[in-house]
Amino acid sequence: MPIGVYVCHCGLNIAGVLDMEELRTFAERLPDVVVARDLQFSCSDIGQEQIQKDIAELKLDRVVVAACSPRLHEPTFRRAISKAGLNPYMLEMANIREQCSWVHMDQPAMATQKAKDLIRMAVAKAALLSPLEPESIPVSKDVLVVGGGVAGIAAALDLADAGLHVFLVERRPTIGGYMALLTDVFPTNDCSICVLGPKMSEVFNHPNIALITYAEILGIEGSVGNFTVTGHRRARYVDEKLCKGCINECSAVCPVEVPSEYDFGIGKRKAIFVPYPQAVPLVACVDPKACIGCARCVEACPAKAVRLDQEAETFKLNVGAIVVATGWQPFDAARKEEFGFGRYKDVVTTLQMERMLNASGPTKGEVVRPSTGQIARSIAFLQCVGSRDATVGNIYCSRICCMASLKNAQLIKEKYPDTDVTIYYIDIRAAGEGYEEFYVRAQKLGVNFVRARVSRIDQVDGDIYLIFEDTQSCEVKRIRYDMAVLSIGLEPDQNADVLGNLLGLSRRPDRFFEIAHPKMRPVEAHIDGVFIAGCASGPKEIPLSIAQGSAAAAKAIKLLHGGELELEPTSAYVDPDLCVRCKLCVDVCPQKAISVKSPAYVDEAACKGCGSCAAACPTDAIKMRLFSDKQIMAQVRAATEEKREFPLIVAFLCNWCSYGAADLAGTSRIQYPTNARNIRVMCSARVDPSFVLEALRRGADGVLIAGCRLGECHYRDGNYQALQRVNVLKEVLGKIGIDPGRVKIVWCAASEGEIYAKELREFIDELKAMGPIGSELKGVKKT
Amino acid sequence: MLLPGEGNKMSFDLDEGFRQTILRMAGGEVQTCIQCGTCSASCPTAHLMNPSIRKLIKLCLEGKRDEALMNDTIWLCTSCLLCTVRCPRGIRPKAVVSACKDLAEKEGIKTKDAAYEQIFSKQIREYGRISELPLTGEFLLVYPQGMVQSMEMGLELMPKGKLGLGVEKIQGRDEVKRIMEELGK
Repeated sequence: MPIGVYVCHCGLNIAGVLDMEELRTFAERLPDVVVARDLQFSCSDIGQEQIQKDIAELKLDRVVVAACSPRLHEPTFRRAISKAGLNPYMLEMANIREQCSWVHMDQPAMATQKAKDLIRMAVAKAALLSPLEPESIPVSKDVLVVGGGVAGIAAALDLADAGLHVFLVERRPTIGGYMALLTDVFPTNDCSICVLGPKMSEVFNHPNIALITYAEILGIEGSVGNFTVTGHRRARYVDEKLCKGCINECSAVCPVEVPSEYDFGIGKRKAIFVPYPQAVPLVACVDPKACIGCARCVEACPAKAVRLDQEAETFKLNVGAIVVATGWQPFDAARKEEFGFGRYKDVVTTLQMERMLNASGPTKGEVVRPSTGQIARSIAFLQCVGSRDATVGNIYCSRICCMASLKNAQLIKEKYPDTDVTIYYIDIRAAGEGYEEFYVRAQKLGVNFVRARVSRIDQVDGDIYLIFEDTQSCEVKRIRYDMAVLSIGLEPDQNADVLGNLLGLSRRPDRFFEIAHPKMRPVEAHIDGVFIAGCASGPKEIPLSIAQGSAAAAKAIKLLHGGELELEPTSAYVDPDLCVRCKLCVDVCPQKAISVKSPAYVDEAACKGCGSCAAACPTDAIKMRLFSDKQIMAQVRAATEEKREFPLIVAFLCNWCSYGAADLAGTSRIQYPTNARNIRVMCSARVDPSFVLEALRRGADGVLIAGCRLGECHYRDGNYQALQRVNVLKEVLGKIGIDPGRVKIVWCAASEGEIYAKELREFIDELKAMGPIGSELKGVKKT
Repeated sequence: MLLPGEGNKMSFDLDEGFRQTILRMAGGEVQTCIQCGTCSASCPTAHLMNPSIRKLIKLCLEGKRDEALMNDTIWLCTSCLLCTVRCPRGIRPKAVVSACKDLAEKEGIKTKDAAYEQIFSKQIREYGRISELPLTGEFLLVYPQGMVQSMEMGLELMPKGKLGLGVEKIQGRDEVKRIMEELGK
């Protein structure tokens, strides 16, 4: 296996500190190396051409470039050798700039020594590289959108317009979500259903959208590009194809009346009903819990569409991507007992107020006291009911309630200028385009604002009283109102739990679905091919939900439009002969890519190559295609072959954060001692305890493992797994008499070069205090 | 403008030591107070208090030691814990009150309500219960301004037999004493 080594001067960036000729001659003598050259700028055209020429003339089959960080130029050199006919994965880089010459500028001799070790490690790894082919798999160009609220509608329409086929699955009998039930919406006070209704019918009529309402997802298998989804459609006891949506005929004869969930309990509906006049599809639905089976609707229906013997149907879909737009559920106001919701008639929720203000709602737009049926003359809005409240477990701000109350207060003031409308608030949060102006508008309309959080509502002789401390006047007051509106917060929809579990979506502490990165990847789930839009990932107003729906659609289009998916060949695979079916790998995999049926099986389309499974596997049955055990072990052995400084540290740095931090320390020219020999791994969880033991056995004085900061792992919780393994390992070391302090695990973000240097300096001091490896064993008597 | 090293202080008269003591005694979560007033509005004796419980927390967080300790509010708390049950931030306002009481007592700060509470608990410790006349008598020595009001009430109570003249004692006073000592530790 002829290896070529290229040591880069990088102008004076490297050559200004390190002895290039010494490095070149050192490299030349390493096993399997047939040529070693020093190049002025290896990344330049001239440099690349030299490498390509050698590949052709000397029949090199692997290349080592000792230059800058692989995070910078690995793609460049991969392209270069692949143009010369080599497999692009037959390249290894030694980072002698960011992690050597730039950080040891005043100790050139020691830095050259370190660079030699780094080159030796790279050559040792290069000898074990094997060609990898990025595999392409055909993908389905169909997309499943779960949830037909405004976010799901936005996603479905964008996907369908781009030519992808969409299955829109909705739990309720109609799409439209909560937005369809609202009256006017902020900040422009336009009628909600007037802007949403056309979008709902567009979904219904779009040739690329198959609408599946009144349905649930029951099973999801497969991975990105090829999900198999099963579900069932509940029986609505009405033939969707025959029903004309005339509604009056059937519901007029229905003798059963129950509270309507679409009016949040303040209006009524029949046992056979259409949720609201703009429902899509406009098809009646029989509520089996309310229906007494009198069949009068069957006779009354002019289209003969009612089918009381209808049964649930199952369906099966094959899709390439899934958009989760499952939305939210309102906070149950009855949980705040001190406000008397459910006991006092005149205490209502925001959603009930929305329905009252809605011209097609149960009161035809009149705001009436539920206890008397009279127009309400004084109305209080109580903010933060079920939000910003640790007593109900919801610390978060629900984000839209301030604006919703400002809007409802305006609507009431416009309709009844003499009504006393007061908003009780902790902080008014009106952060959004046009929102502060909207607040000002409410003030100008004469809405009162009291900075107080109401502590209790009392009912005396049928009237309700609010008890609160006006925190600006410092007075505790008790004031009577005709009506109190509880501004209830948003909670994650419990009905989405099934879907979340099927997909393996993680949840934040606030119980909403977690996105892949809180800033950089706002609509992606941790699972490839799964996108999250709208309130499923936290409370959001309408414009943002729509933006996220469209963003999720764009991400899905980007993923699937080519019809095939190129897989990074960095994945794990299983040697079935070694697998003992312990399922440890299933538990540690953040991607849920591993299943154990007979032996374990890694779905390589879903695998992201973190390597935690390989570290966890007790029989080493799981192997990595890149960063294999053998390659890393070879690096460890090369690093400890010659011990020319004390303390000698073998450091494992995760690719995403701590390797980046070490690079940043270089670009910021932060100086630190030369003791560490760095090994790049994809995740700190990749570090198999056997690597650490081998390093110590071969004479390393300490082993450093560095990962992303806790909670910021690029594989969700890999660093926690690493921490757990290190803790166990320390215990074992302690038992055999080795100082557990020789293994250290630290966290640094890619922006924390200074912290990386500081941690390393501290570790060096600690190891100096301990003495060389094995010195602690001298006191142990031989038995 | 703040001088270097004072960046985390709220004002120049902030007694950082006092603030830290309160946080240690009542819990660090007190820092997360949003001044919503739920505690004050839940308090059954709020109408007698000045400052309110909410404002007391603010005073503690601002390190205003004198204002926080020299008031009647802390002595009017009945420990009903409604504030603590309802606080949306999970703070224990009652613990702040207790911390202030402890500090006031340690520092020997006298207010009429502090004096009343001390006489009250002294009688319990010695006799196992309180007796109206000795309690009132001893309190009026500390707070003579209350004389007229007390006499008016006394005259109303006397004919109804509600005002005991002597010192009443209970059995098992040793037991009570022991309990009080145990609590005082």
